[in-house]
Amino acid sequence: MKPFLYIRPKNLKEAIDAVSFHPQASFIAGGTNLLDLMKRGLAFPEKLVDINHLPLKKIEQKRGILRIGALALNSDVARHKLVNDQHPLLVQAINEGASGQLRNMATTGGNLLQQTRCPYFYDTAFPCNRRQPGSGCSAVNGINRHHAIFGVDEGDPDQSCIAVHSSDMSVALVALDAEIVIAGQNGERKVPLTGLYRAPGNRPNLSANLDKGELITAVEIPDSRYGKNVHYLKVRDRASYAFALVSAAVALDMRGNSISSASISLGGVAYMPWRLPTVEKFLTGQPANDALFKQAADMSVAGARPFKHNAYKVKLVRNVIYESLKTAAGIA
Amino acid sequence: MADEHGNVPQYPDENFFGNLLEDRRLFLKQTMAIAGLTLTPISFLKATGQEEDELPVGDEEKVQLTIQINGKRRKLSVDPRTTTLDLLREKLLLTGTKKGCDFGQCGACTIFIDGQRLLSCLSLAVMQHGKKITTIEGLHQGESLHPMQEAFVKHDSFQCGYCTPGQIMSAVSCIREGCAGSEDEIRSYMSGNLCRCGAYPNIVSAILDVKSSGQKV
Amino acid sequence: MIKQIDTTSENNSLDRVDGRVKVTGTATYSAEYSFANLVHAVLITSTIAKGHITQIDSKEAETISGVLAIVSHLNSPGVPGYGTAKQPPERAGMGTSFRVFYDSLIYFSGQPIAMVLAETLEQANYAASLVKVTYHIEKHQTNFEENLSKAYISPGVLRNKNSPFQDYIRGDRDALDKSKFKIEATYTIPTQHHQPMEPHAIIAVWEAADKLTVYDKNQGVKSAQGNLAQAFKIPRENVKVNAQFIGGAFGSGIRVWPHTVAAVLAAKMLNRPVKLVLGRELMFSSVGYRPYTVQKVSMGADSDGLLTAIVHEGIGQTSSYEEHLERTILASRVMYDCPNVSTKYRLLSLDANTPTWMRGPGDASGMFALECALDELAFDLKIDPLTMRLRNYANHDLERNLPWSAKGLKECYELGAEKFGWKNRSHEVRSMRKDGMLIGYGMASSLYGFHRHPSKARVVMLANGTVIVQSATMDIGPGTGTAMTSIAARVLGISPDKIRFELGDSSLPDAPGQNGSSTIPSVGAAVHVACEALKKKLTELGDAMPGSDTASYADILKFHKLPELEVTEESRSGPERDQYSMYSFGCHFVEVHVSLVTGETRVKRVVTCADVGKIINYKTARSQSIGGVVGGIGMALMEESVMDHRYGRYVTSDFASYHIPVHSDIPQIDVLYVDKADTLANPIGAKGLGEIAIVGVAAAVANAVFHATGKRIRSLPINVEKLI
Repeated sequence: MKPFLYIRPKNLKEAIDAVSFHPQASFIAGGTNLLDLMKRGLAFPEKLVDINHLPLKKIEQKRGILRIGALALNSDVARHKLVNDQHPLLVQAINEGASGQLRNMATTGGNLLQQTRCPYFYDTAFPCNRRQPGSGCSAVNGINRHHAIFGVDEGDPDQSCIAVHSSDMSVALVALDAEIVIAGQNGERKVPLTGLYRAPGNRPNLSANLDKGELITAVEIPDSRYGKNVHYLKVRDRASYAFALVSAAVALDMRGNSISSASISLGGVAYMPWRLPTVEKFLTGQPANDALFKQAADMSVAGARPFKHNAYKVKLVRNVIYESLKTAAGIA
Repeated sequence: MADEHGNVPQYPDENFFGNLLEDRRLFLKQTMAIAGLTLTPISFLKATGQEEDELPVGDEEKVQLTIQINGKRRKLSVDPRTTTLDLLREKLLLTGTKKGCDFGQCGACTIFIDGQRLLSCLSLAVMQHGKKITTIEGLHQGESLHPMQEAFVKHDSFQCGYCTPGQIMSAVSCIREGCAGSEDEIRSYMSGNLCRCGAYPNIVSAILDVKSSGQKV
Repeated sequence: MIKQIDTTSENNSLDRVDGRVKVTGTATYSAEYSFANLVHAVLITSTIAKGHITQIDSKEAETISGVLAIVSHLNSPGVPGYGTAKQPPERAGMGTSFRVFYDSLIYFSGQPIAMVLAETLEQANYAASLVKVTYHIEKHQTNFEENLSKAYISPGVLRNKNSPFQDYIRGDRDALDKSKFKIEATYTIPTQHHQPMEPHAIIAVWEAADKLTVYDKNQGVKSAQGNLAQAFKIPRENVKVNAQFIGGAFGSGIRVWPHTVAAVLAAKMLNRPVKLVLGRELMFSSVGYRPYTVQKVSMGADSDGLLTAIVHEGIGQTSSYEEHLERTILASRVMYDCPNVSTKYRLLSLDANTPTWMRGPGDASGMFALECALDELAFDLKIDPLTMRLRNYANHDLERNLPWSAKGLKECYELGAEKFGWKNRSHEVRSMRKDGMLIGYGMASSLYGFHRHPSKARVVMLANGTVIVQSATMDIGPGTGTAMTSIAARVLGISPDKIRFELGDSSLPDAPGQNGSSTIPSVGAAVHVACEALKKKLTELGDAMPGSDTASYADILKFHKLPELEVTEESRSGPERDQYSMYSFGCHFVEVHVSLVTGETRVKRVVTCADVGKIINYKTARSQSIGGVVGGIGMALMEESVMDHRYGRYVTSDFASYHIPVHSDIPQIDVLYVDKADTLANPIGAKGLGEIAIVGVAAAVANAVFHATGKRIRSLPINVEKLI
């Protein structure tokens, strides 16, 4: 680890200034990913700005919108009554992620911004465009069992990156149409969570649409129409404490047996939680039944681009969508 | 490497270095002084002589901070890069907290910080300024073991013992947080603590035993 | 005849004698000894698989505050036992252990090539990240499957007429062709790593120019002592190896590895104590692994399921510089009553580090193939897999044509089947379902050879009647001290809490390393005979005093004015070893649930049974059996070290990518023992347990998965993509 100056800003402005005006400064919150990166020499801040003491932990509801402070811990969010009452999908997703200890450390904002877990990124012995743009993507012709089947760059993927985003929480938040509040030198802005993630293109090293010094301060979830008709299904290599091979967050707005609207987001298949707008539209206005969900499942993999070791994800996505639609609709 | 029965032998040390090239002289002629064998005094625990500040103070090389560890307030001077785990193990000689992976993937370094179970390998010591840390060494008082420690012995909830302190910290948390309602709930709660010896079933038994005994943990 | 032991009612179920120190965090593992002036060492390892180093630029690293030295082949003072490197360097011939910092040559990715020594760990780590190494790259071969045609029979095996790895044939070589029913299948075990929770670590201290003390993680203090004495050309007795607590090893500590030598070298250079702890990623390239293995098994039977032929051919991975041979194909010669058996064993050298023995070495791999193949044949013949095994039960060792010393496998089958409810299984595949899950029952047998090495134990009775028992044996986790205490207590007839057992110190009486399930058979026997001898002496002394009937041991010592009484005894195998065939046997029954949707397999129930002779301490034995099953579940369902062969480098070098089971993967596990002394094996009638606990488990899981799904997965691990 490169030596750094550790500071604790007294307020948000001081924090933002500290990172904005130093070329090699970085925020640290939970630290569960940043320290990992620093130990491996993949992040080397000269100034570490500890934001844990900023008042950004609150979970509250205003005019139907649930606002989760960016420093609220994953475990606090999953335990919170408001979240459990209104967004059980989010609770399910958070509890499927990482381990209890990590959920006690990881913050809401940090979780959204976590780096990919692609082994080629973490081991500097391998070329990696995300680490060093232009060096090549080792996964494209390498071991790509865990890699993307959606959102793969249209051009030469070897010039891009096929790593996946590994958050579970984010998959649910994307399905719930969450927005994020970002503070920076120019004040506050609000963007859809999906707008945070950047298609890798030929600059996969820039993974998030944040300017230097910008800080996520909160996540906002609009009033839920979904009630209990939600399901988060995660498939992994062992029963717990493993990243998703594929996961799905499904939320249905049901009127009787009819689907008024649907929201579906996939994890483990793309550089960001992957929404399926075509499938959502297809389901809208339809009566929930097995045949419909089979069709929806088939549609869900349209446009998938598998690689040598991850073709199984195509079938898995289909199965997982079918199953979680049934469970969400209560016709399992 | 195996005898005529295909047995795994003791490693034959006579042949350990195989087809060696010719010997050479000992490379060091100078006499070697006896290396120190004494216990290290905790030289890092310099008192700062000033009252505990709201903020840890220091530079890139050393930061002064105060942490309450196992009930004792410690004024420390640490390299900002030092993880909480390395602070405990290397500087404070509290080696009960284990380093299994150093990347948050095994749970061996689980401790309580302000009562919450966390991974000490993925946190910096400087971030703990002003906090209360409990390690396995602080779980029991004097001769009498904590009920969970007793249950681990009774149910033989370990073999090599290396993951054990982390397992016990999580096990205590499991009951404190009300997550020991069923075997499956316990397993889920405990899944952040890896055990390669495979003591899992006996750990679950220990937790159930302590839970059903109603003892305060 | 068959006895099931109840933990609560039998007194052979001691709590672990070191339980208290382990649960309070006060047990001291190798990296946890404290020294003034301690230096921290961090290794730098090769990023290429083959070639040589052209440059090591350590200029920037050397400027880092606290850095004491950066050692590599360029400036290493040399390990005396290695001899002098040739100029230009020559590739090591087969049979040469890897020599650290010896020359510029690269043999595998992850090879230690340099070492930073610094005052603190933070400084050493940072400096290590600044060292730049350039290489000349040569084409490497790491892909096992692509190089199968290069497999060879070991020249050492060819030279040795008695080697078990010679091609073997018994009976009719055309038996397979003549068989009425036959199957042929190929089974693949990927590379798997031991990954004990404690990383390998050493603190090396030179106490004088020719006097070395190490606190090292290993499985044999005596062999480590010999190895280090040889490496540094000092008298064996000048090396002291301490390894009192070992945080698991499973075979990874059987050898002294290069990093240990590197730390000792560094301590010598700086004349300061040096600590070196392997990072988890280095645990994948530094301390061996279970070799990648491909096996072809052909099996023939008549319509009653009686085996008419077994042909078992195996190829195992080794390095370019050492041959690593395993028992892979050997079980097929003894496991079943089959007159016609042939086996072949080949090695395939790759540009990777040398494998080493990992729990159930050879047999865990070989019995996966044999027990799956038998299951396949049983299904084809519509015979219950357990019935199939009983019909082919070997009543003697057909390979050596010897009677078994003892074999309670039939009792294991009966006990296990009863406890598991095997009779509730329906024969057809995909015939059992619950809650949308496919349910499968599977079973497999287990065996492991009996290993007993000459061992010594010293027993000292102190004036107050307490006893110290000593032997240079080890405890990597099974509870050696507890078992030995139990043996001593029974022989001497005193309470276990009056006995202290000391181990893990090379200055204690000779004992083998802890491997091959040999500790209780070897050291247990030595402790037994030593205690018998002490008891005899005490009895004689007691007879020579008045009132001997009521005299305690302390009274006897007091009467004879003895401050203590000591005996040291050695125990070794007798002629029975050549007159009987000795094995531990067992079997496992497994229930799996497989999700039709996700392809995920979860083990829901396991019953494991063993005949290992007398159970010395039920509580710790049970834990060992459970641990073996957990290891087998990992082997079956998730463990796989995956290499990117373009680079000859693993992409699974941490616990997030090399998965071992977590709590949620493991159900409660029932353990049953036959518990009958095998008095031909040794005076305590106990055989080894550590290995058979895992042998066969992966097969039982795979067989259960087949029963659940109808899919025969012959290549481990059984992961999602193989089942959806």
